[in-house]
Amino acid sequence: MFQVITRSTPVIRLLAPRGAVLVEAVRGRKTRTDPKAKSKEGRIKTPPPVDPVEMVVLRERFTEYDLIMRALRLEFKEEMLRKRYEEEVGSLAEERAKQEAEEHRSLMTWNQEENLRMLKIRELRVQKEVEAAEIKKTEAAILREQAMESFVKEKGEEIMRIQEEAKSFINLENLDQRIEEALDNPKNYNFAIDKDGRVVKRTVLQCRLLQT
Amino acid sequence: MVHLSSFLLKTYHGGHIVIRLAMAGHKQSNRPFYRIVAAYNKRARDSKYIEQLGSYDPLPNIYNEKLVSINSDRIKYWMGCGAHSTKPVAKLLGLAGFFPLHPMTVTETERHRALAELAEEAAPEDGVKQQQL
Repeated sequence: MFQVITRSTPVIRLLAPRGAVLVEAVRGRKTRTDPKAKSKEGRIKTPPPVDPVEMVVLRERFTEYDLIMRALRLEFKEEMLRKRYEEEVGSLAEERAKQEAEEHRSLMTWNQEENLRMLKIRELRVQKEVEAAEIKKTEAAILREQAMESFVKEKGEEIMRIQEEAKSFINLENLDQRIEEALDNPKNYNFAIDKDGRVVKRTVLQCRLLQT
Repeated sequence: MVHLSSFLLKTYHGGHIVIRLAMAGHKQSNRPFYRIVAAYNKRARDSKYIEQLGSYDPLPNIYNEKLVSINSDRIKYWMGCGAHSTKPVAKLLGLAGFFPLHPMTVTETERHRALAELAEEAAPEDGVKQQQL
């Protein structure tokens, strides 16, 4: 309902105490058109009575209080600035900076040593790997050569076999001779075989013939 | 005033920092408890503050004491940065001795004392009148 006056309306401030705040009536919960409450229809608002003696005393007290507060604020500001200055530029700050720099240097040297050590280890490892790879390569080459040799040998043997077989092939010269031979020797492929592998060459016809 | 726009993500145009009392939690109970807090002026009373500088318990404990805690170093820092203090905080700190005593506390006590004297004068008069009667 009330709102603080900042600078708008000119109000006489003779009697008001220096440190107090002036209030002004402002629309709150109700709108312009809302009717006044029944209990408040004939009410005339009066501010609380002001005791002039007390007011004067209060004014003095407030001026004193404001003075002391302003001085305190400046004191605190100065202290804060001095602390900040000390932190940034003071003697302790330099020592801290020096210590940090030393720490940094030692850590960097340690890091360098670690790098060298890891480098050596890595070199050894890489060397070993290279050697292993070379050995594998040679072995693989040997295997390949062996496979090649065996293949070649097999093929040669096959050729020899075929050459041998070629001697018994039927050519144009052997044709008549072979026909004669074939006609002279009739071959009988009619046989039975047992589960145990016993071959039986005598057929049913032959048995019948033998019986009779 | 020192430019404090690096604090928090919300920066205010023309706002300043205040040291004030903020109600601390316990919303449903009949048990208030205040934190003395440095916050931006425009923020709600109980919302995010910059730093807590103490607490104030308005209800007296079993030894009839109202406990107040104050972080004087940080209050000095914030006052140096240009923070204002509200009336209740100023009164509390005045009673604590950190600030000078607020004039209103003195006037309130004087008024209270005057009323008490009047009541005392009225009471023995009644007593005398009754005796006379």
